[in-house]
Amino acid sequence: MTEDVRGLLADAFSLYRGSPRAAGLLREALDHLEQPLRVGITGAAGTGKSTLAAALGDWPTRALRDLALLDDPPPGTLTDATVRLFRHLEPDELAAALPTPRSAFARQTAVDTILVLARADETGAGRIDALLTAKQLARRAWREDPLCSGSQGVIAVAGQLAYGARAFDDDEFELLAAFAAVPREELERYLISVDSFTDPAFPGPVSVDTRRSLVSRFGLFGVRLALTLIRTGCDSRLKLSAELVRRSGLGELRDTIAGCFAARADALKARTAVVRLETVLQAEPRPHGDRLAARVERFAATAHDFRELRLIADIRGGRTALSGDPAEEAVQLLGAQGTAPEERLGLAPDADPREVYAAGIDAVRRWRHEAERPDRPPAERAAAHVVVRSAEGLLALFA
Amino acid sequence: MTAPPWLEVLDETLAACRTHGREDLALRLLRRRDRPSGGTRVAVLGFPKQGKGYLVNAVLNAPVCAVGDAPTPAVPVEIGYAAEPAATLIGRSDERIPVAVERMTGEIGARPTGSLRRVEVGVPRELLSAGLVLVDTPAIGDPRSARTAAALDVLADADAVVLVSDATTPLNSAELALAHHVRTWCPHVILALTKIDVCPSWRAVAEKDRTALSDAGIDARVLPVSATVRQAAAKTGDQELNARSGFPELLSWIAEQVARPAERSSALLAAVSVRAAAAELVETLRTRAEVAGRDAGVDQTTLLHRAQRKADDLRKRNTRWQNLLSDEIADLLSDAEFDLRERTRHIVEVIDETFDRGDPIKVWDEFGPWLGDTLTKAVETNYAWAAERAEWIAQAVAVSFGEQYDQPDLQFVDADAELIGEVRQPRIEGFKIGQKMFTGLRGSYGGVLMFGLITNISMGLSMFNPISAAAGVAFAAKTISDEGGMRLQRRQAVAKMTAQRHVDDVFLRFSKDCRDAIRGVQRKLRDHFTALADELSEQLARERETIIAGSAERERRTVRLRREIERLASLHQRAGELGLLAGRAPRELPA
Repeated sequence: MTEDVRGLLADAFSLYRGSPRAAGLLREALDHLEQPLRVGITGAAGTGKSTLAAALGDWPTRALRDLALLDDPPPGTLTDATVRLFRHLEPDELAAALPTPRSAFARQTAVDTILVLARADETGAGRIDALLTAKQLARRAWREDPLCSGSQGVIAVAGQLAYGARAFDDDEFELLAAFAAVPREELERYLISVDSFTDPAFPGPVSVDTRRSLVSRFGLFGVRLALTLIRTGCDSRLKLSAELVRRSGLGELRDTIAGCFAARADALKARTAVVRLETVLQAEPRPHGDRLAARVERFAATAHDFRELRLIADIRGGRTALSGDPAEEAVQLLGAQGTAPEERLGLAPDADPREVYAAGIDAVRRWRHEAERPDRPPAERAAAHVVVRSAEGLLALFA
Repeated sequence: MTAPPWLEVLDETLAACRTHGREDLALRLLRRRDRPSGGTRVAVLGFPKQGKGYLVNAVLNAPVCAVGDAPTPAVPVEIGYAAEPAATLIGRSDERIPVAVERMTGEIGARPTGSLRRVEVGVPRELLSAGLVLVDTPAIGDPRSARTAAALDVLADADAVVLVSDATTPLNSAELALAHHVRTWCPHVILALTKIDVCPSWRAVAEKDRTALSDAGIDARVLPVSATVRQAAAKTGDQELNARSGFPELLSWIAEQVARPAERSSALLAAVSVRAAAAELVETLRTRAEVAGRDAGVDQTTLLHRAQRKADDLRKRNTRWQNLLSDEIADLLSDAEFDLRERTRHIVEVIDETFDRGDPIKVWDEFGPWLGDTLTKAVETNYAWAAERAEWIAQAVAVSFGEQYDQPDLQFVDADAELIGEVRQPRIEGFKIGQKMFTGLRGSYGGVLMFGLITNISMGLSMFNPISAAAGVAFAAKTISDEGGMRLQRRQAVAKMTAQRHVDDVFLRFSKDCRDAIRGVQRKLRDHFTALADELSEQLARERETIIAGSAERERRTVRLRREIERLASLHQRAGELGLLAGRAPRELPA
């Protein structure tokens, strides 16, 4: 795929030799094919972009290793994918922030956005079930709001909580554990508001400043949640940290970024280059530009990665008839959990190649059967066809 | 009772709003004028998810409004006093549908958008017993949406407004604009800063909001509140906690609104509304005057020059397109004829070749249909090509005329290939057995005679002897074959001639037809563009007349607008004085 795009860009380059601006843009796209994938984190002021970028960025995980996170990249920066933050999933706010891409290719292959319902801990006036409510809101928006349906996921994340949970130390844990040890009835009235939490009358020897720093790091919601969790069994720093991260939605966001962006780095970079090319073709038309445009179209039609990503989003967003185990298997085969054959087939990484092959054959057979069942609606069969194509693709590695 | 002094000013402004097509402003003033006396209406306004519902519920200490992730109603909810809890949905045509209070949100959601006007809720709260009505409004959003309009519409009969913004972020520009609008229409405004329980930095945000409001010239206090704290305080009956929620202060502000004497209140509200309407109307008129002024800025001579230039252009264009059309048509005529001739020439060549070698009798069955098909194809191709060229010419003419005009529908006559008759088989004879025999006999008779004579002379044989007989047979065969060759040649010549004549006929007929079609196109284009040119020149003439007549009219319009603005300014001024009488220093008309 990358080679095709290089060829396209090289041809475009000769077409635009006379225009330094266009040539510069194309050169940048060409160079970028060699560089790590760039994921921009964007959103209106006050949505917590930097906090989230820090929470994701300071996370030494294999999945996000070859990835550059750009905190609020200025317009015009070349980015391959976007994590877009929203305070609320209000139609007005969404409509203003999600412009339809101008390029036809970009529209056809729009697999580059994850929406985040940021500051999820503030949902519903910061009640203890705020994160659950936020999760439901995000899920509903992804399933029902046409503005959200074009994205690879709508995920509720409590950025501040996630950041605090990722980076807190033993002293802080001891502090929280000490608070949790205070009888609940006694503590309750000091957890009503930030002001009461930092009230000098707070029981125990912890200074006002310490309490203030704690509440500004975790938020009042975070403190309340941490105390509840400690009381219900998260009795070590690591356990508490893991549980807070899980509940904050950061883990889900990271997995989605890994599965939909990092694992498809080459496809997404190629896409960026082609979108750039199409923009240049539109901005400065040339006599033979239509030939390139036709090649771009062909490229979009043949790139299976985009179809896989599209379908993964559709299945997970509940926009297909698939559900339950078949849906799970389909997204796995489509490469949502990794694009290596073993990962697609749900086998151990060091599985015997013969076993992989057999499982691949089995998957192709079963899904081909699904794809050809006349009693299914055409959309469903088309989806099954995409899965078949993915399964065949992994068999092709054995040829 | 005499009419209050503000009524006159209000009516005059109302009429002005109607005259200038601002029915929306007129309606607001009307509602202000006809508002029933008694009762105080406090509206709660704000952008989505700022905690409006929580605030209203906390004021009432009762879960009346939908909160959290439940959708907020798209119509205003008016909450007043009632001995028993009750809710009534008011439909578009003022029909009243009573529903249970606890099922209210669901009932509203179940109805189609736009079918309701508002909702009335009655709750047994002492706070409301003095005639206070709290109005919870739909969230402000997209300025063009019906929801936003419905929320802002509440301003028309609100005595006071609680603006709601949460402490997570300072006021943004949209919120400031809303505050400004609200303050223009309603004299008593307060900003409730919500969610201070969860925002560690709420004090800084409150300070920022205060500064922003005073910088924008909006006179409104900022009141930090927390519904959660208020709720907790209510549960435990903790007075100190309640004080920290900020609600006692909010309630005492509301009580102030209720306590204001009704007469003074109406006068002030009327004055403020008149000023707001007048200011908005002046804004509209100013924009109109500016547009008129821009037209007037260009003087008449320039406009006349411009019209003259347009006329010159048109004339030039006229000659250009006429020349182009006649040249192109002439070319097309000769090219089309040449093309058809070329095509038929090739056919004739094939005919020649065919009958130089072939025997018409044997090949005609195949040849006839071939000729028909080939001719049809040739003619059709020729026509299609001519039609394409004609289309191109039409475009070229249209472009040279000025691209923005339509082209006529050409409808180039299709080649009527049906007219190509089948070429008839020429009358060519075969060589039948009787003829062969006769010819053979003739030849054999000559042979017998000749050899009979020779053998008779030299060998003394009788006239009819075996040699002569053999020679007779040989001669007969030779003669038959000679005669056959000659007949074939004749047949070939006839066939060739027939076919060629047919081709010629077709050529003549269709080259004429094609020429006619092209001429037709020429006429059509000529008529179309001539008509267009006439129309344009007429238009130009009219334009000149308008220019000459129009400048006076424009002048009059500008003066009228200016006078109207002055009148509105004076209304604005008078309303200000009335407002002053009602106990408050009004601000000046924003420049």
